Amino acid sequence: MSDNTETTDFGFRRVPRADKRGMVRAVFDSVASRYDLMNDLMSLGVHRAWKRVLITALDPSPRRSLLDLAGGTGDIGLAWLERGGGPLLLTDINLSMLVIARQRALERGSIAGASLLVGDAERLPLPDRIVDRVSIAFGLRNCTDKTAVLAEARRVLRPGGRFFCLEFSHVRVAALQPAYDAWSFRVLPMLGRYVAHDEASYRYLAESIRTFPDQDALGDMLREAGFARIEVRNLSGGIAAIHSGWRL
Amino acid sequence: MDDTGEAKRQPPIDPRLLEVLVCPLTKGPLEYDREASELISRKAGLAYPVRDGIPIMLPEEARKLED
Repeated sequence: MSDNTETTDFGFRRVPRADKRGMVRAVFDSVASRYDLMNDLMSLGVHRAWKRVLITALDPSPRRSLLDLAGGTGDIGLAWLERGGGPLLLTDINLSMLVIARQRALERGSIAGASLLVGDAERLPLPDRIVDRVSIAFGLRNCTDKTAVLAEARRVLRPGGRFFCLEFSHVRVAALQPAYDAWSFRVLPMLGRYVAHDEASYRYLAESIRTFPDQDALGDMLREAGFARIEVRNLSGGIAAIHSGWRL
Repeated sequence: MDDTGEAKRQPPIDPRLLEVLVCPLTKGPLEYDREASELISRKAGLAYPVRDGIPIMLPEEARKLED
């Protein structure tokens, strides 16, 4: 199961496992209203292209349902609906993020297909075998017990259903590394300070990216959670990656 | 925060959610109390609040049932 250590990663710090959830919630409560703007600045807008790749891989169809975990302000879920996807369950642990998602869904006329709920990806309030797709984009990194999240994702998938994780990963192109380091540890916290007025939260985001399992390690975690036919697709030289696996 | 009785009119929960939601702890059934705007898990002894039509399915934010 999960590791038995009493502390877990919070950026580069170790914190008591019981504290991480609240600390992550505080980060996102703090950044919620400027989250989309900061994502654009953090990735120079590239996160939009990465998300489009994810949506295409999800293969929206009116016959399929999607559970989007850590769905935040609705980037993945609303795009799923707009691309013709079936019923959407949009979850996040922060009500303040979901309220923004609902507002955006109303403005874009896609609210009818979406059901919103506040939930913890480690303990989903859903029965077994209820959805056809589960996605989590830039969310797994912030979960305390990643093994529990993967187990829950598999549990709620119907056999023949597929799980997708889009997350920052580890750069696979050595020449990119110095520029990427400077960007994430110098520029990002500064943007956090001036744009979101919250340097500490953005420092956490940069650090949490570095402590997240690399492509191979996350692939192994999916395998251990019982997923089959695992695929990894690197984006922008491995700055991000999409992991996927089937529940057979 | 929210008291019983004169709770301000809360919009109802999405009916599609009512069909699928279970208690995150027991994975057992929930009862919807529209008046109090809560989803009740008897097995867990918890009442999950529904705020502005959005259910908050977090045990740490749920009200403990006393009986």
